[in-house]
Amino acid sequence: MNTDYFAYLNESPFPSSGEGKLQGMRIALHPSIAAREWPSEAGSRALEGFIALEDATVVERLKSAGAHIRGNTFMNELGLGVDMDTSGSAVAEGEADLSVVVDIMGESRIIAARAGLAGFKPSFGIVSRLGVIGLVPSMESVGFTAGRPEDILEVLSVTAGDDGRDYSLSVDMPDFSDVASGKGENFRLGVISEASNLLDSRELDEFGKCVGRLKEAGCAINELSFGEFDLFATVHQVIGSVEASSCAGKFDGVRYGHRAGGAKDWNDMYLRSRGESFGTMLKTLLFQGAWFQFENYGAFEKACRVRSRLLEAMDKLYESVDFLVLPTCGMKHMEGKAENIAGLYDMCRLALPANVTGQPALNLPGRLLGVETGLSIQVMGRRLDDTRLLAWASSLVGRIFSGDKT
Amino acid sequence: MTNDFEAVVGLEIHVQLKSETKMFCDCPNRPGDEPNRNVCPTCLWLPGALPRMSGDVLEKAILAALSLDCEIQPLTAFDQKVYYYPDLPKGYQLSQFHRPLARNGRIEIVAGDGSIRDIGIAQVHMEEDVAKLIHEKEGRTPVSLVDFNRAGTPLVEIVSRPDLRGSFEAMEYIKALRSRIRYTGASDCSMEQGTMRVDANISIRPRGSGLFNTKVEVKNMNSVHNVGAAIDYEIGRQAGQIRAGEEIILHTRLWDPDRNVTTAMRGKFEGPCVPDPSVPPLIISRKMLDAVRELLPETPASKLDRFIGEYGLTRDEAALMSSERDMADYFENAAGQGILPRTACHWISTQLAPLLKEAGLGIEESPVSPERLARLLSLLENNEINARAAREALSLLFDSDESPEEIVESRGFRQVSDSGALDAIVDQVLSENAPAVEDYRAGKQKAFGFLMGQAMQASRGTGNPKMIKEILQKKLG
Repeated sequence: MNTDYFAYLNESPFPSSGEGKLQGMRIALHPSIAAREWPSEAGSRALEGFIALEDATVVERLKSAGAHIRGNTFMNELGLGVDMDTSGSAVAEGEADLSVVVDIMGESRIIAARAGLAGFKPSFGIVSRLGVIGLVPSMESVGFTAGRPEDILEVLSVTAGDDGRDYSLSVDMPDFSDVASGKGENFRLGVISEASNLLDSRELDEFGKCVGRLKEAGCAINELSFGEFDLFATVHQVIGSVEASSCAGKFDGVRYGHRAGGAKDWNDMYLRSRGESFGTMLKTLLFQGAWFQFENYGAFEKACRVRSRLLEAMDKLYESVDFLVLPTCGMKHMEGKAENIAGLYDMCRLALPANVTGQPALNLPGRLLGVETGLSIQVMGRRLDDTRLLAWASSLVGRIFSGDKT
Repeated sequence: MTNDFEAVVGLEIHVQLKSETKMFCDCPNRPGDEPNRNVCPTCLWLPGALPRMSGDVLEKAILAALSLDCEIQPLTAFDQKVYYYPDLPKGYQLSQFHRPLARNGRIEIVAGDGSIRDIGIAQVHMEEDVAKLIHEKEGRTPVSLVDFNRAGTPLVEIVSRPDLRGSFEAMEYIKALRSRIRYTGASDCSMEQGTMRVDANISIRPRGSGLFNTKVEVKNMNSVHNVGAAIDYEIGRQAGQIRAGEEIILHTRLWDPDRNVTTAMRGKFEGPCVPDPSVPPLIISRKMLDAVRELLPETPASKLDRFIGEYGLTRDEAALMSSERDMADYFENAAGQGILPRTACHWISTQLAPLLKEAGLGIEESPVSPERLARLLSLLENNEINARAAREALSLLFDSDESPEEIVESRGFRQVSDSGALDAIVDQVLSENAPAVEDYRAGKQKAFGFLMGQAMQASRGTGNPKMIKEILQKKLG
């Protein structure tokens, strides 16, 4: 049933508006990404009834490349959590070829891992955020989930690039149409011990099988150490909550969204509307952010310093390897829901370093590597190295399935 | 206040920049239009909208800061000033706290005792204005309406150091600052129109002490005069409080212009300032700064000196011509057309200015262009018309499109310098006014003036007065 996956279905008799390289591709869209005249409620009552005035850049580009935007999927409140999210299942069940989501702390990859798909968060600053209803502007990105990495590569080549409307886009934008780069090369891969240590012994065993498969395919594997790996989550939790608190400040019931009735004055209206609109998980995050803003600004400043230190340390790792390989999440996160903020961070612990650093990261389920496992691996690269990463992964998957293991 | 205390005053001045668009979107910067006419997803801060810093706004902000001798910072960034209010569509105001646009400026003022004082400017930063709230009643229900036209319009805030020692210096500082910024064209700086808003931080201390005591912030003054009055009132109030042994508490007060008092409003609220992740930091290169510097007009002070040297004006005349940029432009344009600069200055200040004032026009809107004025004045300089005719012609030029020459011809203003014709006029006047002639010859000098007037009248105002005078003197012996 369509309605199991789509909160809103495109009923236009002319489902795609252009002819191009994505002709015929069916896209499922997160309701946190604006499509003109469609409801864009981002899973939140604070956006109840909000109709987007214009297409997000990514939607506009998909449409003009001939893609068919099938409809809006369901999602968790403003993207906090993935248990309500249907963008993975819509692709897995054949209702769409690719899902476009907002990746705030790993969603595109975790959704893909849970559905056995490829999922990709591009580098920060290459896909315009215009029309994206996010929560953590400095860390989030439009992300893609699809059956095969080459579909993502194709979509990235269409959607990435300057639109003149997002001033946070990179000034040194690479050429994303150069899809030939990286194909067939055997890269040096780094495995971070501290990341692997977060797995239990069974997961570690499965992860080892996937890494072994990459080695068989001709990649050199280096064991690397990153002592402060655990600080990624801490930094995300401080900076992310502060940004979320600011970002959600616009949801006030004045211009759109749910407005509480019976308020005695504007201040009461404001408090009640927000109180009724937000769920417990979001409220916890916003309180936490406001606490750092108003009561413990020093901790926020410290987190910013730690963030730059982590970035530098991460860049250093790439001196000896081309890409990093780490698990996407543990087996226990492959289903169920995060009950609270702590649970959410536990689920996203391995995926969010790419958000903190702005680096590209690709989820590859063991299945695509020809390994019998429920586990997924994640391949991270240097910022702006997206095309090479996706092209390499596409050709690797292709080689594994054509039986050519060299 | 008594002489035991001296005031320590710092001013925070918000100036609305005169840019075409708002700060982060393409909406027109016209807050006064019909409510909610100039809005878009960005300034309404609808979900998914992104800010785009306007180059024009940045340029005007830099101009304003340069006019105050500030050091422009090579890297400047926006912060979110977090507070929740319905006039703020996103729950924070984009302002600059950690990395302001400019620092360390100064303005020279003449203090009350005639000495020159340097007033420091700590920083100049950019910030967006908020929407306007209108509280009304629908029937018996109070409603609050929001007009977003002003939301996102550009401001610069100029923060002085606490260098001002009283109301006089504060008013001099505001006037000097206003003149400098107006000169750049970056803002109109009108307190009455609300394009300049002044908040004063006031504390007092025993005279001669170097202390900085708890300050009180005063808002809501809508004229330079009111700023002075509010500072004086506040000094007296604080002195009274200290004498009564009461503690001064940091808070905000409102100036009440009807009762001439300040009243307590609220505790001073300082929300947090968090670096904003959506507007990338701005790098102001040497090249860009040089380009903006090129746009910086000559300062009023150097213009004054130049007008004395180049045009031979007196200091007073030069001050009159240079204090406003439009006036200076008009004067230079007129003086550049081959007439005597002092004649131009004299006619602009004594004849044209009153006409403009009566019509409620600024000199930049003058119906008599500098070129037309210059042509009229060159007719005067060449003795083709006399001063009286020039005055009349000027007021006619004010209301018509005709050229000075056409007016002079069609109205018969051309001066009669034909000695034969003037001879005949003088003869006629002498014969018609025999008693006056006798009076003059009997030694009454006043009678000469009367005869002179009669002769001018007989020429219908067009006779060359100098020649008439000579002929009269000759004929009267």
